[in-house]
Amino acid sequence: METMRERVVFWYGCNAVRHGDIIHSAIELLRAVGIDSDPAGGPAYCCGTSKDGNLAAAAGMAARTVEKFNAAGRDTVVTWCPSCHRHAGTFMTGVNTAKFGVSHITEILHTRRHLLVPLLTHRLDRRVVLHKHSGFHEVDAYPLIADLLRLIPGLELVVTDYSAPGHMCSAVSAVPAALKDVVRRSAELCRAHDSDTLVTAFHSCQRLLCGLATTDGIKVVNYVNLLVEAMGMKPPADEYAEWKNAGSEAAIREKIGEERIAKIGAEFFAQQVLPELRKLPEK
Amino acid sequence: MESETEQLIAYVERNIERTLADCTTCGKCFDACPMTEYSAALNGKTGPEVVAGIRSLLAGDGGTPAALEWTRVCTQSARCIPACPENVNPMLMMRLSRITALGSTGGPALLPDGKRDPNFFRRINAFSALQFSDAELAAWQR
Ligand code: SF4
Repeated sequence: METMRERVVFWYGCNAVRHGDIIHSAIELLRAVGIDSDPAGGPAYCCGTSKDGNLAAAAGMAARTVEKFNAAGRDTVVTWCPSCHRHAGTFMTGVNTAKFGVSHITEILHTRRHLLVPLLTHRLDRRVVLHKHSGFHEVDAYPLIADLLRLIPGLELVVTDYSAPGHMCSAVSAVPAALKDVVRRSAELCRAHDSDTLVTAFHSCQRLLCGLATTDGIKVVNYVNLLVEAMGMKPPADEYAEWKNAGSEAAIREKIGEERIAKIGAEFFAQQVLPELRKLPEK
Repeated sequence: MESETEQLIAYVERNIERTLADCTTCGKCFDACPMTEYSAALNGKTGPEVVAGIRSLLAGDGGTPAALEWTRVCTQSARCIPACPENVNPMLMMRLSRITALGSTGGPALLPDGKRDPNFFRRINAFSALQFSDAELAAWQR
């Protein structure tokens, strides 16, 4: 089947920047299915969804980001983050005129999965459990991700009936008792299915659950990294998970290195970055 | 010409009007919500009662403590959407309720804004600097 190469904006959002590995693997997968991307993200491309308490800021961010995407001149903006995707389909384009369509990366990869099939040559002989949420109603992403993962030779995918509330773990974190339940249930599911690997769909689940390696001996991995690994490539290191599971402040500092710490400022690192990296999932 | 902010507020108000017109206060969205079990204050409350409070909040009449509490614990599970017989999109209704309760449409702030963190974007920039090359930052994040 002939599929044209295309060029799109790949909009990875704000909080996904904690996971450079996910973003690099996603770009690699888009390339593998014939899509070259102009990646865009970080605060300069914020959708404004977190600014419900300040609509002037939300409006400014949305207008600026739509304007930048219009100027980029691509027909399609491919989203990663479910919050950005939701906001783009409602508040952003309900007010600003977009000269582009919006598709979620799971839809793109799934539609073009025939191009992935011949590339997924590397066996991954392991049993993994898919971590799911119920809230991303705009795109039924989990069946799409499950279909993609089932293309990986050797991989045994467990899809259970359990879906956590929210559209990803960060939404649940506003209610700490609920997040504890999500953590506990996720660990229980891995144990019940005799699996040591939980697969996440989104960055904030990766962020909030990757510490299960330390607390429960469960490896948490994003689906894009599994697909890249099955393509026979070494997936980029999940440095965020390595830092979170480093075990001590000294070990985190050593892994990141003084040069990178200096780049963001030692004081800011100590006050704003280190506490997040030291926090493990609670049940 | 309306400013960006005025346009966004008008968009919010249009959606509030539509929600108030379509919602029959049946309470099925509340019954479907997986988050109510995390709030003692919502224990024993009925759907019609709590949704009536949400409608009062959206109408600018201040809502009820239970409506504010439901708004606080909403995590956008989306379980309410298929539960609604009127095709209202209760998840959007709850977002509009949050926007209103935060005082963003001109009324008093009735809920604290947990997302007002002065270091939110600074942390994102810091993690970007830890994870991306200078060339990637210049091409992807400016
Ligand atoms: S289910 Fe729909 S109609 Fe019923 S109270 Fe909720 S939003 Fe209103």
